[in-house]
Amino acid sequence: MASAAAGSTLLPLALVDKCTGSRIWVLMQDNREIVGTLRGFDEYVNMVLDDAIEYVTVGTTQTEVARLEQMLLNGCNIAAMVPGSEASPFREPAE
Amino acid sequence: MADAAPAKRTPSDFLKDVIGRRVVVQLRTGTTFRGVLASLDGFMNIAMEQTEEWKDGHLSSKLGDAFIRGNNVLYISAVKKRG
Amino acid sequence: MASSSVERPIDLVRLSLDERVLVKCRGDREIRGRLHAFDEHMNLMLGDAEETHVTTEKDPTTGEELSKTSKRTMDMLFVRGDVVILVSPPLRTA
Repeated sequence: MASAAAGSTLLPLALVDKCTGSRIWVLMQDNREIVGTLRGFDEYVNMVLDDAIEYVTVGTTQTEVARLEQMLLNGCNIAAMVPGSEASPFREPAE
Repeated sequence: MADAAPAKRTPSDFLKDVIGRRVVVQLRTGTTFRGVLASLDGFMNIAMEQTEEWKDGHLSSKLGDAFIRGNNVLYISAVKKRG
Repeated sequence: MASSSVERPIDLVRLSLDERVLVKCRGDREIRGRLHAFDEHMNLMLGDAEETHVTTEKDPTTGEELSKTSKRTMDMLFVRGDVVILVSPPLRTA
């Protein structure tokens, strides 16, 4: 239990900060996903991304809807993030 | 402070940089606004000029000046400055 | 244009006071009315307001998209800020 408390000194956003300069995959609260190179972020996790690709996922089908050279992503609508990753589509489970 | 090759850019750096440029504002509802960014605040409230509203890839109306309430904004994007 | 005096986005709304503005709200509602007052939440008070509600339905036989526009008017209308998406003053054609 003591170790859990000690572990909390490493904050989740400190890990996101380590991702600055590399690709990050952001899952939004709706069916959008955005992948881009993280340039910076603030306390609300608003993020500046370069060379971003926006996807919309319907069912298991992921469709690219836009390419954005520079963007500021509103932190309010973010559900989850995968540091250091490109978007990976859903796959049917292997037999 | 210039630690990495392309320097860190916080959201506030981005905002200072993007005023007066052509931007695309994407709302949570799917509607897109294109125009020139006149001004912007910490809530992501936006004032735009030459505003065009796009729905499902079609221009649906030309609005001129517009205030957009920040809570509806999904992202603001711009093309990179050349040269 | 008014850009020189728009320092903060909300200044654009201030400059639209007493003008007939277009307000787009959540739920495909559009309201036009004279802007009497607003606050930092974007709560609005509109006079001589006209609400337009657009609904699109597919014709079951032809599959054609039909959009129905219905309107209603209110003498004085309070719009709660959190439903406001956009406020736009009338196009200034000089």
